[in-house]
Amino acid sequence: MSETSIVGKTVLRVDGPAKVRGESRYGADIDIPGALFLKVLRSEVPHGLVKRIDAAEALKIPGVVRVFTHADVPGENSYGIIVKDQPALTDKVRFRGDALALVAAETDVAAKRALEVIKVEIEELPPLYDVWAAMDEKAPEIHAKGNILTVSRVKKGDVDAALETAAVVVSRRYTTQRVEHCYIETEAGVAYMDDDTLVIKAGTQNPHYDRRDVSRVLGLPINRVRIVQSATGGGFGGKLDISVQCFLGLAALKLGRPVRIVYDRRESIIATGKRHPFFVEYTSAATKEGKLLAVKAKIVGDTGAYASYGPATLNRAAVHATGPYEVLNVDIKALCVYTNNPFSGAMRGFGTPQMAFVAESQMDLLAQALQLSPLEIRRRNVLRPGSLTATGQRLDKSVGIGATLEAAWEKACQVMPGLGGEAR
Amino acid sequence: MDLFQLEMKVNGEAVSVPVNPGLRLLDVLRDVLHLSGTKEGCGEGECGACSVIIDGELVDSCLVLAPQAHNREIITIEGISADGELDTLQSAFLEAGAVQCGYCTPGMILAAKVLLSKNPKPGRQDIARGIAGNLCRCTGYAKIIKAVELAAAGLQQKEGEAGV
Repeated sequence: MSETSIVGKTVLRVDGPAKVRGESRYGADIDIPGALFLKVLRSEVPHGLVKRIDAAEALKIPGVVRVFTHADVPGENSYGIIVKDQPALTDKVRFRGDALALVAAETDVAAKRALEVIKVEIEELPPLYDVWAAMDEKAPEIHAKGNILTVSRVKKGDVDAALETAAVVVSRRYTTQRVEHCYIETEAGVAYMDDDTLVIKAGTQNPHYDRRDVSRVLGLPINRVRIVQSATGGGFGGKLDISVQCFLGLAALKLGRPVRIVYDRRESIIATGKRHPFFVEYTSAATKEGKLLAVKAKIVGDTGAYASYGPATLNRAAVHATGPYEVLNVDIKALCVYTNNPFSGAMRGFGTPQMAFVAESQMDLLAQALQLSPLEIRRRNVLRPGSLTATGQRLDKSVGIGATLEAAWEKACQVMPGLGGEAR
Repeated sequence: MDLFQLEMKVNGEAVSVPVNPGLRLLDVLRDVLHLSGTKEGCGEGECGACSVIIDGELVDSCLVLAPQAHNREIITIEGISADGELDTLQSAFLEAGAVQCGYCTPGMILAAKVLLSKNPKPGRQDIARGIAGNLCRCTGYAKIIKAVELAAAGLQQKEGEAGV
Protein backbone atom coordinates (compact mmCIF):
# COMPACT_ATOMS: atom_id res chain seq x y z
CA MET A 1 0.00 0.00 0.00
CA SER A 2 1.35 3.41 -0.89
CA GLU A 3 2.30 5.77 1.90
CA THR A 4 -0.25 8.52 2.54
CA SER A 5 0.16 11.65 4.57
CA ILE A 6 -2.79 11.22 6.94
CA VAL A 7 -4.77 7.99 6.35
CA GLY A 8 -4.16 5.62 9.24
CA LYS A 9 -2.29 8.21 11.25
CA THR A 10 -3.24 10.29 14.24
CA VAL A 11 -3.60 13.89 13.16
CA LEU A 12 -4.03 16.81 15.54
CA ARG A 13 -7.22 18.78 14.90
CA VAL A 14 -6.56 22.04 13.07
CA ASP A 15 -9.03 23.81 15.37
CA GLY A 16 -7.65 22.05 18.47
CA PRO A 17 -5.11 24.61 19.74
CA ALA A 18 -7.65 27.47 19.63
CA LYS A 19 -10.21 25.29 21.40
CA VAL A 20 -7.93 24.28 24.29
CA ARG A 21 -6.92 27.92 24.73
CA GLY A 22 -10.54 29.08 24.81
CA GLU A 23 -9.93 31.27 21.77
CA SER A 24 -12.46 29.73 19.36
CA ARG A 25 -15.37 32.06 18.70
CA TYR A 26 -18.77 30.37 18.98
CA GLY A 27 -22.01 32.14 18.07
CA ALA A 28 -22.33 33.88 21.44
CA ASP A 29 -18.65 34.88 21.53
CA ILE A 30 -18.54 37.11 18.47
CA ASP A 31 -17.75 40.69 19.42
CA ILE A 32 -20.11 43.01 17.60
CA PRO A 33 -20.19 46.49 19.11
CA GLY A 34 -23.52 48.29 19.08
CA ALA A 35 -25.52 45.17 18.30
CA LEU A 36 -29.17 45.02 19.27
CA PHE A 37 -30.35 42.08 21.36
CA LEU A 38 -33.03 39.83 19.87
CA LYS A 39 -35.59 37.77 21.81
CA VAL A 40 -38.36 35.56 20.49
CA LEU A 41 -41.90 35.45 21.84
CA ARG A 42 -43.06 31.84 21.72
CA SER A 43 -46.53 30.36 21.88
CA GLU A 44 -47.77 28.94 25.17
CA VAL A 45 -50.55 27.01 23.40
CA PRO A 46 -49.95 24.05 21.08
CA HIS A 47 -52.47 24.63 18.30
CA GLY A 48 -54.38 27.69 17.17
CA LEU A 49 -54.84 30.61 14.82
CA VAL A 50 -53.15 33.91 15.63
CA LYS A 51 -55.84 36.58 15.52
CA ARG A 52 -54.00 39.62 16.77
CA ILE A 53 -50.58 40.62 18.10
CA ASP A 54 -50.46 43.93 19.98
CA ALA A 55 -46.97 45.24 20.70
CA ALA A 56 -47.95 48.80 21.70
CA GLU A 57 -46.96 48.37 25.37
CA ALA A 58 -43.70 46.67 24.45
CA LEU A 59 -42.70 49.55 22.18
CA LYS A 60 -43.08 51.99 25.11
CA ILE A 61 -40.30 50.25 27.06
CA PRO A 62 -37.10 52.31 26.85
CA GLY A 63 -34.60 50.55 24.63
CA VAL A 64 -37.09 48.52 22.64
CA VAL A 65 -36.49 49.32 18.98
CA ARG A 66 -38.88 47.13 17.05
CA VAL A 67 -41.24 44.19 17.33
CA PHE A 68 -41.62 41.97 14.25
CA THR A 69 -44.48 39.56 13.49
CA HIS A 70 -45.44 37.36 10.55
CA ALA A 71 -46.73 40.48 8.78
CA ASP A 72 -43.16 41.80 8.58
CA VAL A 73 -41.66 38.81 6.77
CA PRO A 74 -40.80 40.16 3.32
CA GLY A 75 -40.39 36.89 1.37
CA GLU A 76 -42.02 33.44 1.46
CA ASN A 77 -42.73 32.84 5.14
CA SER A 78 -41.81 29.16 5.09
CA TYR A 79 -38.60 27.19 5.29
CA GLY A 80 -37.48 23.61 5.74
CA ILE A 81 -34.85 21.21 4.47
CA ILE A 82 -37.21 18.84 2.66
CA VAL A 83 -40.65 20.46 2.90
CA LYS A 84 -41.04 24.24 3.19
CA ASP A 85 -43.63 24.07 5.98
CA GLN A 86 -42.13 26.03 8.88
CA PRO A 87 -42.77 29.79 9.17
CA ALA A 88 -40.12 32.10 10.56
CA LEU A 89 -42.82 33.97 12.52
CA THR A 90 -46.16 32.24 12.42
CA ASP A 91 -49.81 33.16 12.08
CA LYS A 92 -50.81 29.57 12.84
CA VAL A 93 -49.48 27.91 15.97
CA ARG A 94 -48.61 24.23 15.56
CA PHE A 95 -46.69 23.52 18.76
CA ARG A 96 -46.05 25.08 22.16
CA GLY A 97 -42.92 27.04 21.29
CA ASP A 98 -43.80 28.28 17.80
CA ALA A 99 -42.33 31.75 17.18
CA LEU A 100 -44.94 34.55 17.29
CA ALA A 101 -42.91 37.75 17.51
CA LEU A 102 -39.32 38.94 17.48
CA VAL A 103 -38.15 41.81 19.67
CA ALA A 104 -35.07 43.93 18.93
CA ALA A 105 -33.82 46.07 21.82
CA GLU A 106 -30.77 47.97 22.98
CA THR A 107 -30.35 45.67 25.99
CA ASP A 108 -31.06 42.07 26.85
CA VAL A 109 -33.22 43.21 29.79
CA ALA A 110 -35.40 45.50 27.66
CA ALA A 111 -35.96 42.70 25.15
CA LYS A 112 -37.00 40.31 27.92
CA ARG A 113 -39.41 42.86 29.40
CA ALA A 114 -40.96 43.42 26.01
CA LEU A 115 -41.80 39.72 25.71
CA GLU A 116 -43.86 39.97 28.90
CA VAL A 117 -46.17 42.72 27.65
CA ILE A 118 -46.85 41.74 24.04
CA LYS A 119 -50.51 40.76 23.84
CA VAL A 120 -51.37 37.83 21.62
CA GLU A 121 -54.88 36.68 20.81
CA ILE A 122 -55.04 33.06 19.64
CA GLU A 123 -58.13 31.11 18.60
CA GLU A 124 -57.26 27.71 20.00
CA LEU A 125 -57.72 24.50 18.02
CA PRO A 126 -57.84 21.00 19.54
CA PRO A 127 -54.24 19.77 20.00
CA LEU A 128 -53.09 16.41 18.65
CA TYR A 129 -50.33 14.88 20.74
CA ASP A 130 -50.71 11.33 19.51
CA VAL A 131 -49.80 9.97 16.05
CA TRP A 132 -52.78 7.60 16.00
CA ALA A 133 -55.20 10.44 16.78
CA ALA A 134 -53.48 12.62 14.16
CA MET A 135 -54.02 9.92 11.49
CA ASP A 136 -57.76 9.72 12.22
CA GLU A 137 -59.76 10.94 9.22
CA LYS A 138 -61.70 13.35 11.41
CA ALA A 139 -58.62 14.83 13.06
CA PRO A 140 -58.12 18.58 12.60
CA GLU A 141 -55.49 19.31 9.97
CA ILE A 142 -52.22 20.67 11.32
CA HIS A 143 -51.03 21.49 7.80
CA ALA A 144 -53.23 22.07 4.76
CA LYS A 145 -52.13 18.83 3.06
CA GLY A 146 -53.20 16.63 5.97
CA ASN A 147 -51.43 15.02 8.89
CA ILE A 148 -49.79 12.09 7.09
CA LEU A 149 -46.77 13.68 5.47
CA THR A 150 -45.12 10.72 3.73
CA VAL A 151 -45.49 6.95 3.40
CA SER A 152 -42.41 4.87 2.57
CA ARG A 153 -42.67 1.25 1.43
CA VAL A 154 -40.11 -1.53 1.19
CA LYS A 155 -41.50 -4.73 -0.35
CA LYS A 156 -39.78 -7.95 -1.38
CA GLY A 157 -41.05 -11.51 -1.87
CA ASP A 158 -44.30 -12.84 -0.41
CA VAL A 159 -44.58 -12.16 3.32
CA ASP A 160 -48.05 -13.71 3.80
CA ALA A 161 -47.00 -17.03 2.27
CA ALA A 162 -43.79 -17.05 4.33
CA LEU A 163 -45.75 -16.44 7.55
CA GLU A 164 -47.83 -19.55 6.86
CA THR A 165 -44.86 -21.87 6.47
CA ALA A 166 -42.80 -20.42 9.35
CA ALA A 167 -41.98 -22.54 12.41
CA VAL A 168 -42.11 -19.51 14.67
CA VAL A 169 -43.76 -16.10 14.38
CA VAL A 170 -43.18 -13.29 16.87
CA SER A 171 -45.26 -10.08 16.85
CA ARG A 172 -44.73 -7.14 19.19
CA ARG A 173 -45.39 -3.42 19.50
CA TYR A 174 -42.54 -1.08 20.33
CA THR A 175 -42.37 2.58 21.23
CA THR A 176 -39.30 4.79 21.50
CA GLN A 177 -39.05 8.17 23.13
CA ARG A 178 -38.38 11.73 21.99
CA VAL A 179 -34.73 12.73 22.59
CA GLU A 180 -33.18 16.20 22.84
CA HIS A 181 -29.70 16.54 21.30
CA CYS A 182 -28.59 18.75 24.16
CA TYR A 183 -25.41 20.01 22.54
CA ILE A 184 -23.61 22.01 25.23
CA GLU A 185 -23.66 25.19 23.10
CA THR A 186 -27.14 26.61 22.64
CA GLU A 187 -28.11 28.29 19.36
CA ALA A 188 -26.54 31.72 18.92
CA GLY A 189 -25.26 34.15 16.34
CA VAL A 190 -24.92 37.66 14.97
CA ALA A 191 -25.87 39.44 11.76
CA TYR A 192 -25.06 42.72 10.06
CA MET A 193 -25.27 44.42 6.67
CA ASP A 194 -22.05 44.68 4.67
CA ASP A 195 -23.18 47.24 2.07
CA ASP A 196 -26.21 45.50 0.59
CA THR A 197 -25.10 42.00 1.59
CA LEU A 198 -26.60 40.38 4.65
CA VAL A 199 -23.97 38.57 6.73
CA ILE A 200 -25.07 36.00 9.31
CA LYS A 201 -22.56 34.30 11.58
CA ALA A 202 -24.06 31.49 13.61
CA GLY A 203 -23.52 27.99 14.90
CA THR A 204 -24.90 25.63 12.24
CA GLN A 205 -24.33 22.30 10.53
CA ASN A 206 -25.86 23.49 7.27
CA PRO A 207 -24.59 26.88 6.06
CA HIS A 208 -25.58 26.29 2.41
CA TYR A 209 -29.13 25.27 3.22
CA ASP A 210 -29.36 28.15 5.70
CA ARG A 211 -28.42 30.51 2.92
CA ARG A 212 -31.18 29.27 0.63
CA ASP A 213 -33.87 29.45 3.31
CA VAL A 214 -32.82 32.87 4.59
CA SER A 215 -32.84 34.21 1.04
CA ARG A 216 -36.32 32.72 0.49
CA VAL A 217 -37.80 34.04 3.74
CA LEU A 218 -36.33 37.52 3.34
CA GLY A 219 -36.99 37.76 -0.40
CA LEU A 220 -33.33 38.52 -1.07
CA PRO A 221 -31.39 37.24 -4.06
CA ILE A 222 -29.14 34.46 -2.83
CA ASN A 223 -25.97 36.39 -3.77
CA ARG A 224 -26.90 39.00 -1.16
CA VAL A 225 -26.90 36.49 1.70
CA ARG A 226 -23.69 35.25 3.30
CA ILE A 227 -23.75 32.59 6.00
CA VAL A 228 -20.56 32.13 8.00
CA GLN A 229 -20.45 29.10 10.27
CA SER A 230 -19.03 30.10 13.64
CA ALA A 231 -17.35 27.47 15.79
CA THR A 232 -20.24 25.13 16.55
CA GLY A 233 -20.54 23.58 19.98
CA GLY A 234 -22.10 20.27 19.05
CA GLY A 235 -24.95 19.53 16.67
CA PHE A 236 -25.63 15.80 16.36
CA GLY A 237 -28.14 16.61 13.60
CA GLY A 238 -29.96 19.24 15.66
CA LYS A 239 -28.19 22.17 14.05
CA LEU A 240 -29.08 21.11 10.50
CA ASP A 241 -32.36 23.00 10.84
CA ILE A 242 -32.82 26.76 10.78
CA SER A 243 -32.93 28.12 14.34
CA VAL A 244 -31.76 31.73 14.81
CA GLN A 245 -30.77 32.47 11.19
CA CYS A 246 -34.04 33.97 9.89
CA PHE A 247 -34.54 36.06 13.05
CA LEU A 248 -31.03 37.49 12.74
CA GLY A 249 -31.46 38.14 9.03
CA LEU A 250 -34.88 39.78 9.34
CA ALA A 251 -33.80 42.20 12.07
CA ALA A 252 -30.43 43.13 10.52
CA LEU A 253 -32.03 43.69 7.11
CA LYS A 254 -35.00 45.73 8.34
CA LEU A 255 -33.11 47.79 10.93
CA GLY A 256 -29.78 48.17 9.17
CA ARG A 257 -28.03 47.58 12.47
CA PRO A 258 -25.96 44.69 13.78
CA VAL A 259 -27.95 42.25 15.89
CA ARG A 260 -27.22 39.29 18.13
CA ILE A 261 -29.22 36.46 19.64
CA VAL A 262 -28.44 33.70 22.15
CA TYR A 263 -30.96 31.03 23.15
CA ASP A 264 -30.90 30.04 26.79
CA ARG A 265 -31.12 26.34 27.53
CA ARG A 266 -34.88 26.43 28.06
CA GLU A 267 -35.50 28.02 24.67
CA SER A 268 -33.04 25.66 23.01
CA ILE A 269 -34.99 22.69 24.33
CA ILE A 270 -38.43 24.13 23.61
CA ALA A 271 -37.83 25.51 20.13
CA THR A 272 -35.54 23.09 18.31
CA GLY A 273 -35.82 19.60 16.80
CA LYS A 274 -35.77 16.25 18.55
CA ARG A 275 -35.19 12.59 17.73
CA HIS A 276 -38.43 11.10 16.33
CA PRO A 277 -40.46 8.98 18.74
CA PHE A 278 -41.37 5.75 16.89
CA PHE A 279 -44.43 3.54 17.21
CA VAL A 280 -43.75 0.18 15.59
CA GLU A 281 -45.78 -2.97 14.99
CA TYR A 282 -43.32 -5.66 13.98
CA THR A 283 -43.70 -9.32 13.02
CA SER A 284 -40.76 -11.65 12.42
CA ALA A 285 -40.90 -15.22 11.17
CA ALA A 286 -38.22 -17.92 11.10
CA THR A 287 -37.69 -21.57 10.25
CA LYS A 288 -37.07 -24.07 13.04
CA GLU A 289 -33.34 -23.76 12.27
CA GLY A 290 -33.57 -20.07 13.09
CA LYS A 291 -33.30 -18.74 9.56
CA LEU A 292 -35.30 -15.53 9.08
CA LEU A 293 -38.15 -16.01 6.62
CA ALA A 294 -40.10 -12.78 6.82
CA VAL A 295 -40.42 -9.36 8.40
CA LYS A 296 -43.58 -7.30 8.32
CA ALA A 297 -43.62 -3.90 9.99
CA LYS A 298 -45.60 -0.72 10.30
CA ILE A 299 -43.55 2.20 11.57
CA VAL A 300 -45.08 5.52 12.55
CA GLY A 301 -42.74 8.42 13.30
CA ASP A 302 -43.97 11.49 15.20
CA THR A 303 -42.44 14.39 13.31
CA GLY A 304 -44.31 16.91 15.45
CA ALA A 305 -45.31 20.31 14.12
CA TYR A 306 -42.90 20.47 11.17
CA ALA A 307 -41.35 18.07 8.69
CA SER A 308 -37.69 18.95 9.21
CA TYR A 309 -35.82 15.76 8.25
CA GLY A 310 -38.86 13.58 9.04
CA PRO A 311 -39.45 12.13 5.54
CA ALA A 312 -35.77 11.11 5.27
CA THR A 313 -35.78 9.69 8.80
CA LEU A 314 -38.81 7.49 8.14
CA ASN A 315 -37.45 6.44 4.77
CA ARG A 316 -34.22 5.39 6.43
CA ALA A 317 -36.22 3.57 9.12
CA ALA A 318 -38.02 1.54 6.46
CA VAL A 319 -34.81 0.71 4.60
CA HIS A 320 -33.01 -0.42 7.77
CA ALA A 321 -36.00 -2.08 9.47
CA THR A 322 -34.63 -5.60 9.02
CA GLY A 323 -31.34 -4.75 10.77
CA PRO A 324 -28.06 -6.27 9.55
CA TYR A 325 -29.82 -9.53 8.67
CA GLU A 326 -30.80 -11.21 5.44
CA VAL A 327 -34.57 -11.57 5.12
CA LEU A 328 -36.15 -13.10 2.02
CA ASN A 329 -39.65 -11.69 2.38
CA VAL A 330 -40.17 -8.13 3.54
CA ASP A 331 -43.14 -5.79 3.82
CA ILE A 332 -42.40 -2.49 5.55
CA LYS A 333 -44.55 0.61 5.71
CA ALA A 334 -43.21 3.75 7.37
CA LEU A 335 -45.36 6.82 7.94
CA CYS A 336 -44.18 10.29 8.84
CA VAL A 337 -46.97 12.01 10.78
CA TYR A 338 -47.57 15.57 11.94
CA THR A 339 -48.71 16.20 15.53
CA ASN A 340 -48.73 19.27 17.78
CA ASN A 341 -45.60 18.05 19.56
CA PRO A 342 -42.15 19.69 19.27
CA PHE A 343 -40.85 18.99 15.77
CA SER A 344 -38.57 16.03 15.17
CA GLY A 345 -35.67 15.98 12.74
CA ALA A 346 -32.21 14.62 12.27
CA MET A 347 -30.41 13.02 15.16
CA ARG A 348 -27.46 10.67 14.88
CA GLY A 349 -28.61 7.67 12.84
CA PHE A 350 -31.73 9.13 11.18
CA GLY A 351 -34.25 6.56 12.43
CA THR A 352 -31.92 3.56 12.34
CA PRO A 353 -31.18 3.50 16.12
CA GLN A 354 -34.91 3.23 16.81
CA MET A 355 -35.20 0.34 14.34
CA ALA A 356 -32.07 -1.36 15.72
CA PHE A 357 -33.79 -1.51 19.11
CA VAL A 358 -36.84 -3.10 17.50
CA ALA A 359 -35.06 -5.53 15.15
CA GLU A 360 -32.59 -6.72 17.81
CA SER A 361 -35.35 -7.17 20.40
CA GLN A 362 -37.16 -9.35 17.86
CA MET A 363 -34.02 -11.44 17.27
CA ASP A 364 -33.77 -12.11 21.01
CA LEU A 365 -37.42 -13.15 21.16
CA LEU A 366 -37.02 -15.49 18.18
CA ALA A 367 -33.93 -17.02 19.81
CA GLN A 368 -35.90 -17.57 22.99
CA ALA A 369 -38.78 -19.22 21.12
CA LEU A 370 -36.38 -21.52 19.23
CA GLN A 371 -34.14 -22.20 22.25
CA LEU A 372 -31.12 -20.83 20.44
CA SER A 373 -28.59 -18.46 21.96
CA PRO A 374 -28.93 -14.78 20.95
CA LEU A 375 -25.50 -15.09 19.34
CA GLU A 376 -26.33 -18.20 17.34
CA ILE A 377 -29.51 -16.85 15.79
CA ARG A 378 -27.61 -13.76 14.66
CA ARG A 379 -24.76 -15.88 13.23
CA ARG A 380 -27.28 -17.71 11.09
CA ASN A 381 -28.77 -14.54 9.62
CA VAL A 382 -26.13 -11.83 9.31
CA LEU A 383 -25.61 -10.20 5.93
CA ARG A 384 -22.58 -11.56 4.09
CA PRO A 385 -20.85 -10.76 0.81
CA GLY A 386 -23.38 -11.85 -1.79
CA SER A 387 -26.43 -11.23 0.43
CA LEU A 388 -29.47 -9.32 -0.81
CA THR A 389 -30.72 -6.50 1.42
CA ALA A 390 -34.40 -5.76 2.03
CA THR A 391 -34.31 -3.28 -0.86
CA GLY A 392 -32.77 -5.83 -3.22
CA GLN A 393 -29.23 -4.50 -3.21
CA ARG A 394 -26.60 -7.22 -3.62
CA LEU A 395 -23.73 -6.65 -1.18
CA ASP A 396 -20.83 -7.75 -3.35
CA LYS A 397 -17.88 -6.35 -1.45
CA SER A 398 -17.13 -6.04 2.24
CA VAL A 399 -19.78 -6.72 4.88
CA GLY A 400 -18.44 -6.34 8.41
CA ILE A 401 -21.27 -7.51 10.66
CA GLY A 402 -20.25 -11.20 10.85
CA ALA A 403 -16.66 -10.45 11.87
CA THR A 404 -17.86 -7.73 14.24
CA LEU A 405 -20.23 -10.12 15.94
CA GLU A 406 -17.48 -12.73 16.49
CA ALA A 407 -15.02 -10.09 17.74
CA ALA A 408 -17.63 -8.72 20.17
CA TRP A 409 -18.34 -12.23 21.45
CA GLU A 410 -14.65 -12.96 21.93
CA LYS A 411 -14.20 -9.71 23.86
CA ALA A 412 -17.30 -10.40 25.95
CA CYS A 413 -15.94 -13.82 26.94
CA GLN A 414 -12.65 -12.18 27.95
CA VAL A 415 -14.17 -9.54 30.19
CA MET A 416 -17.03 -11.69 31.50
CA PRO A 417 -15.55 -15.14 32.17
CA GLY A 418 -18.85 -16.42 33.58
CA LEU A 419 -20.60 -15.96 30.22
CA GLY A 420 -20.17 -19.61 29.26
CA GLY A 421 -18.71 -18.89 25.84
CA GLU A 422 -17.34 -22.40 25.50
CA ALA A 423 -20.84 -23.93 25.71
CA ARG A 424 -22.16 -21.90 22.80
CA MET B 1 -29.01 51.08 40.19
CA ASP B 2 -25.81 51.70 42.14
CA LEU B 3 -22.81 50.12 40.51
CA PHE B 4 -20.50 47.89 42.51
CA GLN B 5 -16.75 48.46 42.24
CA LEU B 6 -15.58 44.92 41.71
CA GLU B 7 -11.96 44.27 42.54
CA MET B 8 -10.44 40.89 41.85
CA LYS B 9 -7.41 39.22 40.40
CA VAL B 10 -8.07 37.59 37.04
CA ASN B 11 -5.38 35.39 35.52
CA GLY B 12 -2.78 37.09 37.67
CA GLU B 13 -3.78 40.66 36.90
CA ALA B 14 -5.57 43.04 39.25
CA VAL B 15 -8.94 44.12 37.87
CA SER B 16 -11.17 46.91 39.14
CA VAL B 17 -14.42 47.48 37.27
CA PRO B 18 -17.77 49.08 38.12
CA VAL B 19 -20.49 46.51 37.51
CA ASN B 20 -24.21 46.01 38.00
CA PRO B 21 -24.25 43.92 41.21
CA GLY B 22 -26.94 41.69 39.67
CA LEU B 23 -24.52 40.37 37.07
CA ARG B 24 -23.11 36.92 37.38
CA LEU B 25 -19.35 36.42 37.45
CA LEU B 26 -19.84 34.67 34.09
CA ASP B 27 -21.28 37.89 32.59
CA VAL B 28 -18.45 40.00 34.00
CA LEU B 29 -15.84 37.68 32.54
CA ARG B 30 -17.50 37.42 29.13
CA ASP B 31 -19.17 40.77 28.57
CA VAL B 32 -17.07 43.20 30.64
CA LEU B 33 -13.60 41.63 30.46
CA HIS B 34 -14.16 39.96 27.04
CA LEU B 35 -12.81 36.61 28.25
CA SER B 36 -15.15 34.53 26.09
CA GLY B 37 -13.31 31.26 26.71
CA THR B 38 -15.66 30.77 29.68
CA LYS B 39 -18.89 29.39 28.16
CA GLU B 40 -22.52 29.33 29.18
CA GLY B 41 -24.27 26.01 28.62
CA CYS B 42 -27.21 25.84 30.98
CA GLY B 43 -27.10 28.85 33.29
CA GLU B 44 -28.03 26.75 36.30
CA GLY B 45 -24.92 24.91 37.41
CA GLU B 46 -25.62 21.62 35.66
CA CYS B 47 -23.15 21.50 32.78
CA GLY B 48 -19.88 23.02 34.00
CA ALA B 49 -19.15 24.87 30.72
CA CYS B 50 -18.72 28.08 32.74
CA SER B 51 -16.24 26.56 35.21
CA VAL B 52 -13.51 28.84 36.54
CA ILE B 53 -11.04 28.44 39.38
CA ILE B 54 -11.69 30.72 42.37
CA ASP B 55 -8.98 30.65 45.04
CA GLY B 56 -7.96 27.18 43.92
CA GLU B 57 -11.47 25.69 43.82
CA LEU B 58 -13.51 24.77 40.76
CA VAL B 59 -16.70 26.90 40.61
CA ASP B 60 -19.57 27.34 38.13
CA SER B 61 -19.32 31.04 37.33
CA CYS B 62 -23.02 31.15 36.36
CA LEU B 63 -23.90 30.57 40.02
CA VAL B 64 -21.65 33.33 41.40
CA LEU B 65 -22.90 36.90 41.70
CA ALA B 66 -20.28 39.43 40.71
CA PRO B 67 -19.88 40.89 44.24
CA GLN B 68 -19.14 37.39 45.56
CA ALA B 69 -15.97 37.43 43.48
CA HIS B 70 -14.77 40.61 45.21
CA ASN B 71 -11.16 40.31 46.44
CA ARG B 72 -10.89 36.77 45.10
CA GLU B 73 -8.41 35.26 42.68
CA ILE B 74 -9.93 33.95 39.48
CA ILE B 75 -8.29 31.73 36.87
CA THR B 76 -10.01 31.22 33.50
CA ILE B 77 -8.96 29.12 30.51
CA GLU B 78 -7.16 32.16 29.11
CA GLY B 79 -4.94 32.18 32.19
CA ILE B 80 -3.46 28.72 32.24
CA SER B 81 -0.94 28.80 29.41
CA ALA B 82 2.23 30.49 30.61
CA ASP B 83 3.86 32.82 28.07
CA GLY B 84 1.74 31.48 25.21
CA GLU B 85 3.01 27.92 25.69
CA LEU B 86 0.28 25.34 26.03
CA ASP B 87 -0.19 23.97 29.53
CA THR B 88 0.52 20.23 29.98
CA LEU B 89 -3.23 19.61 30.25
CA GLN B 90 -3.97 21.55 27.07
CA SER B 91 -1.37 19.54 25.14
CA ALA B 92 -2.66 16.28 26.60
CA PHE B 93 -6.24 17.11 25.53
CA LEU B 94 -5.00 17.65 21.97
CA GLU B 95 -2.84 14.55 21.95
CA ALA B 96 -5.51 12.24 23.35
CA GLY B 97 -8.20 13.48 20.94
CA ALA B 98 -10.23 14.74 23.89
CA VAL B 99 -11.43 17.83 21.99
CA GLN B 100 -14.31 17.60 19.55
CA CYS B 101 -16.76 20.49 19.41
CA GLY B 102 -14.65 22.13 22.10
CA TYR B 103 -17.46 23.86 23.96
CA CYS B 104 -16.96 21.91 27.21
CA THR B 105 -13.17 21.94 26.80
CA PRO B 106 -12.28 25.10 28.78
CA GLY B 107 -14.34 23.97 31.79
CA MET B 108 -13.10 20.41 31.47
CA ILE B 109 -9.44 21.50 31.44
CA LEU B 110 -9.97 23.72 34.48
CA ALA B 111 -11.72 20.86 36.32
CA ALA B 112 -8.76 18.62 35.54
CA LYS B 113 -6.39 21.37 36.64
CA VAL B 114 -8.02 21.56 40.07
CA LEU B 115 -8.08 17.78 40.35
CA LEU B 116 -4.35 17.45 39.60
CA SER B 117 -3.50 20.25 42.01
CA LYS B 118 -5.07 18.23 44.80
CA ASN B 119 -4.30 14.72 43.60
CA PRO B 120 -1.27 14.50 41.30
CA LYS B 121 -1.67 10.73 40.77
CA PRO B 122 -5.37 10.19 40.22
CA GLY B 123 -6.81 6.80 39.26
CA ARG B 124 -9.49 6.53 36.56
CA GLN B 125 -12.24 6.71 39.18
CA ASP B 126 -10.69 9.83 40.73
CA ILE B 127 -10.58 11.45 37.31
CA ALA B 128 -14.18 10.52 36.55
CA ARG B 129 -15.20 12.04 39.89
CA GLY B 130 -13.05 15.11 39.26
CA ILE B 131 -14.83 15.91 35.99
CA ALA B 132 -18.28 14.74 37.15
CA GLY B 133 -19.59 18.31 37.17
CA ASN B 134 -18.65 18.92 33.54
CA LEU B 135 -20.85 17.57 30.78
CA CYS B 136 -19.55 16.60 27.34
CA ARG B 137 -21.93 15.40 24.60
CA CYS B 138 -19.32 14.52 21.95
CA THR B 139 -16.57 12.35 23.35
CA GLY B 140 -18.21 9.87 25.70
CA TYR B 141 -15.54 10.94 28.24
CA ALA B 142 -13.10 8.05 27.59
CA LYS B 143 -10.62 10.26 25.72
CA ILE B 144 -10.98 13.05 28.26
CA ILE B 145 -10.05 10.64 31.06
CA LYS B 146 -7.14 9.43 28.92
CA ALA B 147 -6.02 13.04 28.45
CA VAL B 148 -5.98 13.67 32.21
CA GLU B 149 -3.99 10.45 32.72
CA LEU B 150 -1.50 11.62 30.09
CA ALA B 151 -1.21 15.03 31.72
CA ALA B 152 -0.72 13.52 35.18
CA ALA B 153 2.07 11.30 33.85
CA GLY B 154 3.62 14.27 32.05
CA LEU B 155 3.56 16.41 35.18
CA GLN B 156 5.09 13.59 37.25
CA GLN B 157 7.90 13.30 34.74
CA LYS B 158 8.52 17.06 34.71
CA GLU B 159 8.61 17.10 38.49
CA GLY B 160 11.06 14.20 38.52
CA GLU B 161 13.34 15.98 36.09
CA ALA B 162 13.13 19.19 38.08
CA GLY B 163 14.02 17.30 41.25
CA VAL B 164 17.21 15.80 39.79
